[in-house]
Amino acid sequence: MTEARAHFDDAQGALVASGAWRADSAAALPNLAGKSVRILDGAGVTELDTNGAWLLLAAVRPQPDDPLPELRTFQPRHLDILNLVARHRAATAAEPAPRRLGLLELMGRKTLSTGAHIVGLLDFVGRLFVEVGRLLGHPREWRWREFGAQMGAVFAGAIPIVIGMLFLLGVVFAYLLGDQAQQYGANIFVVDGIMLAVLREVSPVIVAVLVAGRTGAAITAQLGTMKVTEEIDAITTLGLSPLAVLVIPRMIALILAMPLLVFIGDLAGLAGGMLVAQQQLDISASMFMDRLGDVIRLKTLVVGLGKAPVFAVFIAMIACRMGLAATRDARSVGANTTSTVVQSLVAIIILNAIFAVTFVRLGI
Amino acid sequence: MAAVIDVRDVSIALGGHPVHRGLSLSVERGEVVALIGGSGTGKSVLLREIIGLLRPQAGRIELFGQPVVGSTAKQMNALRRRFGVLFQDGALFSSLSVEDNIATPLFEHTDLRRDTCRRLARLKLALVGLPPDTAHKRPSDLSGGMRKRVALARALALDPELLFLDEPTSGLDPISARAFDSLIKLLADSLNLTVFLVTHDLDTLYSIIDRVIVLSNGRVLGSGTVAELKHIDDPWLNDYFAARAQDGETLHGN
Repeated sequence: MTEARAHFDDAQGALVASGAWRADSAAALPNLAGKSVRILDGAGVTELDTNGAWLLLAAVRPQPDDPLPELRTFQPRHLDILNLVARHRAATAAEPAPRRLGLLELMGRKTLSTGAHIVGLLDFVGRLFVEVGRLLGHPREWRWREFGAQMGAVFAGAIPIVIGMLFLLGVVFAYLLGDQAQQYGANIFVVDGIMLAVLREVSPVIVAVLVAGRTGAAITAQLGTMKVTEEIDAITTLGLSPLAVLVIPRMIALILAMPLLVFIGDLAGLAGGMLVAQQQLDISASMFMDRLGDVIRLKTLVVGLGKAPVFAVFIAMIACRMGLAATRDARSVGANTTSTVVQSLVAIIILNAIFAVTFVRLGI
Repeated sequence: MAAVIDVRDVSIALGGHPVHRGLSLSVERGEVVALIGGSGTGKSVLLREIIGLLRPQAGRIELFGQPVVGSTAKQMNALRRRFGVLFQDGALFSSLSVEDNIATPLFEHTDLRRDTCRRLARLKLALVGLPPDTAHKRPSDLSGGMRKRVALARALALDPELLFLDEPTSGLDPISARAFDSLIKLLADSLNLTVFLVTHDLDTLYSIIDRVIVLSNGRVLGSGTVAELKHIDDPWLNDYFAARAQDGETLHGN
C-alpha cells in the first residue's frame, strides 16, 4: 500500500494527491492557508475511501457549501466516492466548541439538581408510606418469598465479613488501649473500654458501612439494571407495584438483618479484644468474662443495636430510590451506584453524630 | 481474486453440544452474501468465529488471506480495522452521544483531531440517511430503526472493506426494514463493500442478496441464488420458502 502524498502546484493552483487516501492520511496534507485551490488532481491516487475524500475536500474547500474545485484525472470509482461525499458534506460543517460553564453557572446547576434530588427522595418516601399503608390492609400482598431471598443475601452473605472486620478491630482497639492502660497498671479497665467502644460505636457504624457498600450498592445496581431492561415497567404493567414487589422486601430485610449483624459484630469484636487481653495484658478469658459481666449494662447493648435499624432505613431508602431513578443507560447505573454508597456513608456519619449528641444530652 | 472470507473445515462444540462439524465456505470481494438456517444452527456462532470473538476447536478461518485463529493481538487489531460489525441490537454505547458513538473508532485508530473525527462521524450519519440533528442525541432517545442506522454508521466509520451484519432488519417494521435493505445495497455498491449478513428476513434475500448460504446440521447445506436454493430438497428449506409463498397469497387475497 503506497503512502498518501499531496503537494500544491502553484503554477496551476492545483492540489496534487497521490497514494492511498484514508482516515489516517491527514498528516500528508500541505498547508494551504492563503492559497486558492482551483483544481484537485488525483491521477496518482491508488485508493480513496470516504474519510480520505472528505479530508481532501475539506482541505481545499473548508466551508462545506463552497462550490467544488475542478476534479481532475481521478479514477471513475474515486470520482464516485468524491461526489458521494460532496453531496453529504453540508452535514459536516465545523461546530463551535461546546461552551464552558462558569463557576457560578456550575454552582447554580448543581444546586438545582441537588434540589430536584431532594424533592425526588421526599416523593419516594411519600409513595413508600402510602404503599406500606395500603399493604397493611392487604397482608396477602406481602412478598415473603422475595423477602426471604433478600434476607439470605443481606444477612447470611454478610456474616463472614462482619466477623472478620469486627474481630480485627477488637484486636486493634484492645492493643492500643492496653498499651496505655499498662503504664498505669490499669489493665483490667481495658475490658470496660473495649466493651463500650465496640458495642456503642464501632460495631453499629462499621456494620452500617459494610452493608452500605455491599448491599446498598448491589440493590442500586440491580434495580437500575432492571430499569434498563424494562423489567420495572413490566412489573407495573402486570398491575403490581414495584414498591411492594422490590423495595419493601429489601427494606424490611435490611431493617431486620442490620441489628442481627451488629450483634454478631459485637461478639466478634469482644472476642478479638479478649484474645489480645489474654496474650498481652495477662487477663485470662474467665477474668475478662467476669469483668465484662460486672460492667456491661443493657442500655449499652441496646443503644448500639437500636442505631442499626435507623441506619438500615436510610441505606435501603437511598439504595432503592437511586436504583429506580436510573435512566436507561449503562453510565447512569454506575453513577447511581456510586452515589448510593456516598450518600449512605454521609447519612451514617451524620446520623451517628446526631445519636451521640442526643444520648449525651439525655444522659443515656 | 482471492476470497475475502475463507472458512475451512471449522468445528466447534459449545457446552458439549456440537454446533459446527467441518463447515467450509468462502466469500469473494464485492459479494453481498446472506447466511440463513433454522434457529440453533449456529449462524451467530459462525459470525462470532469469523470476527474473532469465538475460537473454533478445529479448522482455519482467513479474512483477506490472513488467519483469524492464531494471529497475534497486533495482527488481529490491524485486521479489525478492515471490517465493520453491526450487532443485532446495535450495541451502541449508551453513555455517549450518537456523534461520539460513530467517532469512537476514529478517536481510537487515527491521529485525527477530535473535531475532525466528529465531522467525519457526521458525514457517516448523513451517508446512512439520518438528519444532522441526530448527532447530539443519546442512543436511548432513538427509535429502533434509527439505532440500527447509527450502528451501521459506526461500523462504517473507518471505511472498512468488509461489513458483517447480524440480523440487520430484525425488530424493524416492514417499511423501515425495506429502507434499511436498500441503504445497505446503496452503500455496498457505492463504497464497493463486501457484505456478509445473517438474516431470517426473506424480503432481504429477495431484494439485495447476490448469494445465499444455508446452514444445516453444522455444515453448509447449499449455496447459490434464491432460485437455485429452491431446487434443494430439504424440509426446513421447503418450509422456509413456503412461508413466503403463503404470505404472498394472503396478500393477494386481501
